[in-house]
Amino acid sequence: MFSLCPCSPLSVEEEELQCKDLIMYHNSSQRKYWTFENEETLEKLRYQANQKCCAKILSGKAGLSESLLLDPLEEDVVFKHYEKRLLDFCAVFKPAMPKSVVGTANMYFRRFYVNNSLMEYHPRTIMLTCTYLACKVDEFNVSSWQFVGNLQEPPAGQERALQQILEYELLLIQQLSFHLVVHNPYRPMEGFLIDLKTRYVALENPEVLRKTADDFLNRATMTDVGLLFSPSQIALTAVLNSASRAGLNMESYLTECMGLRDDKESLSKMIDSMRRIKNHVKKYEPPNPEDVGACKQKLERVHAEFFPNASSKRKRGYEDDDHVTKQHQAVEEEWTDEDLESL
Amino acid sequence: MDQYSILGRIGEGAHGIVFKAKHIETGETVALKKVALRKLEDGIPNQALREIKALQEIEDNQYVVKLKNVFPHGTGFVLVFEYMLSDLSEVIRNSQRPLTESQVKGYMMMLLKGVAFCHENSIMHRDLKPANLLISSTGHLKIADFGLARLFSNEGERLYSHQVATRWYRAPELLYGARKYDEGVDLWAVGCIFGELLNNSPLFPGENDIEQLCCVLRVLGTPNQHVWPEITELPDYNKITFKENPPIPLEEIVPDTSVQAVDLLKRFLVYPSKQRIGASQALLHPYFFTDPLPAHHSELPIPQRGGKRSHQRLQPPYEFSVDRPLHESLVDPGLIQGHAWGCF
Repeated sequence: MFSLCPCSPLSVEEEELQCKDLIMYHNSSQRKYWTFENEETLEKLRYQANQKCCAKILSGKAGLSESLLLDPLEEDVVFKHYEKRLLDFCAVFKPAMPKSVVGTANMYFRRFYVNNSLMEYHPRTIMLTCTYLACKVDEFNVSSWQFVGNLQEPPAGQERALQQILEYELLLIQQLSFHLVVHNPYRPMEGFLIDLKTRYVALENPEVLRKTADDFLNRATMTDVGLLFSPSQIALTAVLNSASRAGLNMESYLTECMGLRDDKESLSKMIDSMRRIKNHVKKYEPPNPEDVGACKQKLERVHAEFFPNASSKRKRGYEDDDHVTKQHQAVEEEWTDEDLESL
Repeated sequence: MDQYSILGRIGEGAHGIVFKAKHIETGETVALKKVALRKLEDGIPNQALREIKALQEIEDNQYVVKLKNVFPHGTGFVLVFEYMLSDLSEVIRNSQRPLTESQVKGYMMMLLKGVAFCHENSIMHRDLKPANLLISSTGHLKIADFGLARLFSNEGERLYSHQVATRWYRAPELLYGARKYDEGVDLWAVGCIFGELLNNSPLFPGENDIEQLCCVLRVLGTPNQHVWPEITELPDYNKITFKENPPIPLEEIVPDTSVQAVDLLKRFLVYPSKQRIGASQALLHPYFFTDPLPAHHSELPIPQRGGKRSHQRLQPPYEFSVDRPLHESLVDPGLIQGHAWGCF
């Protein structure tokens, strides 16, 4: 005799969704191109970006002291500062910005500076451009004016910010290698909570884990874990960490519900990844305000002295300077004869 | 850009002109679609972002046109696609006589495989229509133009725009202004395309949005809460009322069509989106397993761009069977060698 499946149709559907998402991450550009082997690889790439920029500045300028420039550690201080500003900007954004948009914006910002130096591209502009692009890509539809309206600036400043955002947008998506989809850990975390409710009876009320797990994820965005681990690994770490904080032992969730009891190798790999993720998050410290002040000063000087026309040089996508000055009637661009000749 | 030499103009896409070009290094023919950054105050258009987003994330599939590369150029960027000879709207327009049942099945099978792949990857296309179904020089059908595509498994319940999909292929919930919808909008469009292939003319050729709704209602009957419970929640439901009208049996709409074909068509063209047959399920419908079997891609017409006469290629000298192992379909080169030399 057949018995009806006891689980409600909803939970089956939810599980299917989760599963779809996993498949998606598995084939994603994030996994293929933006999940790095280890911490050293990232460090090396950032070091190279810094060196390349220094060489560019120093070339042909005999006698220029390298001490005027930022070293990778100093860049990191400024990076952390602006990353925090990005998150603060998103947190008070009106209308309220969905978490996934914030996560995407932040990930763009991190990806951009894996291969670029803050000395060449000012993080203030890049952070706004990342956020603006994330809004569009994640279908959080706000107009450009609404967007810059969120800046605590007079209208003229807002207009200038918008102009810069639009100037850098193309550069940004190029530097992201046109990989625009970001998988954040928020959905997997919801999935784990649903799974705990349906299959893990040992835990009475999984919702008690939510608050601490959320905090963990928020902290995790300010570290490299998003560039090193899969979103579901990060989410699972957040949930299990929250449980252990509450004095709950959830090891049987891994061994029983995840079916890892007899797969010692996967289990130990997973535990190792979770330990690394936890370390990153634990290690995170906001930058010291004094250091930030000093490094920012240095950065401003570098920008003023060595990249004074940065924006006009980098105006890749647009031809002239006054493109945002409401030239609504601007003719649609097509391929011109010059285009064809230049091919 | 200097990696390509331009061979000619193919046509105009949603974002601008599409060119045929040759990749100099490999000699491969490609289609270049330039996305110009018009000096709009919102920057890179959402449509372009959606297309890149969808195509960068899905793996290769035989029935989805492949994005080979993206690179910046001049005042915008260029999307590089594999080159396709024609599209299904040209096939329908140029075919001398209605497509045979087996050809229609062949196209439907490829279309459904492509749609099933997109839906499995959580992408809804939102603008399926014959002009977006490209035909390769080998007769393969591939889905193109993901400018309206979006990933549908996003968290939360966000509202989408209902101004999607070309009117004739737009699902009834969109015509009623739905802001929350699902991949069913693609399945409706598949049904419309299916009907168009069977009839050689569009199923619901409305000239404006209201008339579009009338066209659909005339065939499917005036919807009510009984057949379509969700209808009362749709934004425009109360804005317009139609007089009671019974459905017309689809057999009369697509005359001279096999029972199986009508049965499958019926499963796409239903009001509640959730009740429309899914693409992968539709592929298991008896329609595809009854004689005549779906045509092999080599038996499908390949029209030339620009409306030149389609030339039917030589038919293979045997009946094609899907069950036959591939190697059996291949002609032994030894057998034709003598003849081939004779031809030269």
